[in-house]
Amino acid sequence: MKYLIIGNSAAGINAAEAIRTNDTKGEITILSDEEFPAYGRPLISYYLSGKVTAENMHYRDDKFYKTRNIKVLLNSKVENISTKNKETCLQGGKKFLFDKLLIATGSSPFVPPIKNLDMCKQKNVFTFLTYEESSSLKKAITPQSKVVILGAGLIGLKAAEGVFGKVAKITIVDLADRILASVLDKSSSKIIQNHIEQNDIEFKLNASAVEIRGENNVSGIVLSNGETLDCDILIVAVGVRPNINLAKDAGLKVSKGIIVNEYMQTSAKDIYAAGDCIQSLDLLSNESKILALWPNASNQGETAGLNMSGAKVKAPASFAMNAISFFGMQLISAGIIDGEKTVKSIVESSDSSLKKLNIHDDTLIGFVLINCNRRAGIYTALINDRTKLSTLEYDITSKDIGLNVYPKEQRTKKIWNSRGCNI
Amino acid sequence: MKRVYAFESKCLGCGLCEVYCKTAHSKSKNIIKANKEENIASAIIIEEILQPKVTSYFALQCRHCANPKCVKSCIAGAMYKDEKGIVQNDKKKCVSCLSCVLVCPFGAVKKSADGKAISKCDLCVDFGESICVQKCPNEAVKLLDDKEAEVLQ
Repeated sequence: MKYLIIGNSAAGINAAEAIRTNDTKGEITILSDEEFPAYGRPLISYYLSGKVTAENMHYRDDKFYKTRNIKVLLNSKVENISTKNKETCLQGGKKFLFDKLLIATGSSPFVPPIKNLDMCKQKNVFTFLTYEESSSLKKAITPQSKVVILGAGLIGLKAAEGVFGKVAKITIVDLADRILASVLDKSSSKIIQNHIEQNDIEFKLNASAVEIRGENNVSGIVLSNGETLDCDILIVAVGVRPNINLAKDAGLKVSKGIIVNEYMQTSAKDIYAAGDCIQSLDLLSNESKILALWPNASNQGETAGLNMSGAKVKAPASFAMNAISFFGMQLISAGIIDGEKTVKSIVESSDSSLKKLNIHDDTLIGFVLINCNRRAGIYTALINDRTKLSTLEYDITSKDIGLNVYPKEQRTKKIWNSRGCNI
Repeated sequence: MKRVYAFESKCLGCGLCEVYCKTAHSKSKNIIKANKEENIASAIIIEEILQPKVTSYFALQCRHCANPKCVKSCIAGAMYKDEKGIVQNDKKKCVSCLSCVLVCPFGAVKKSADGKAISKCDLCVDFGESICVQKCPNEAVKLLDDKEAEVLQ
């Protein structure tokens, strides 16, 4: 059996690992268009800041590919997939046949059209999604750099943290009225914004870049509010788009992302897809959407790998979740954050902490925890299992959560199950 | 594999398991220094169950799940299941993002006291014996394999 995996990050690696648990002999080949072995992609901001060394960027140890007999080809960009001949063709013409294929191509930064922005020409413009980009940004910054970041989302803020302390000035621009607009509601995001601002980082909200100054190097950014920012490092972090072109050109069903079923099968026989390039079924809205999250990609990759090698298992439920810190402030959130009118929000907050639980129809549908992370996973489990809150031992808004929230029989069953969380 | 199981009816809630857990994971391995001077988060959580007339307790630690969510969610590859089945955290690689805390359905992973990594039960493999089990005065926590646990449940 020939297994071919396009993509060498969370989904690809977890798929390869899963295939090996079922099939010790099959030939596994991973094709990656990057120059590094698998690394923790979200660690690129830590690498930029110097908190994580090159040695600790590796997602798996250096023996990973060899001990599992997995062939990995770096710097290998796939040009096209033929569903009919069951083969892929690399840039340069090299061909690979497959019996089972996984498309785990991830996503790419979205660069909005801005007057006079030309990433091919202007040398001091960066996106921030790969180790290579982090590496070149690290080389480009100087203590005199005036950094402008477009986008106050997870990537933009982590990029700011990465360059913090190494540059003269950081300004972050976002079209929304708040930072982390796609992750948090206004009051939660305000706490984090205040905290980040204490580190001399300036936000320009309700604003966008309308024009770039400078030819071969960006020297300034004209904003929609008329202001012009001096700039010698521009980081574009307004969002990412799933890499669907390979799948689309091969005739696979795609929408915003690649369409798969719960077994991670695409519309073509023997071709699977997983991770940031696909649309996932959101447990909470029941809609098919892009949920580009590391745990999601790992789970889907594993599911794809198991199914490619003979199993028949469904992927675990997906819903939005994030655990991330900004300048020492810890955010953990999951599910639906910005509640509609029918949602009861219970909030305990201070200047530097917040606990917000969103409850709808006797179930927990979302939460935000800032600087109070204790046992957060139990809340996540309540969302995941759609547990009726009235069946629990106490009101979850009344005190700190523990496993003692479950009735004795359920609690005992959970703790004594020898498979742990996989009941 | 072997895991630590709690016996609710026997637990006094005395906290000795926590005291020794901290000791086992300290630099000094000295009970006083570990608990008074070194800042260590215990990998055990003692939970209280309030009932009308009595309060009972149980000690909880990592269940070393067959397919651990913490390992899948780890962005750094710091969480892994070793060859014995023990879920381990490589402190050198951990960036303390707390993705593991976000997904552990038992709430059995904590931020470490120094904030640099996480703290969870490793069954005291480096220490040679699960010290919470050794030191519990009333056998309220036991190290059992799957079969033994099934019989005793």
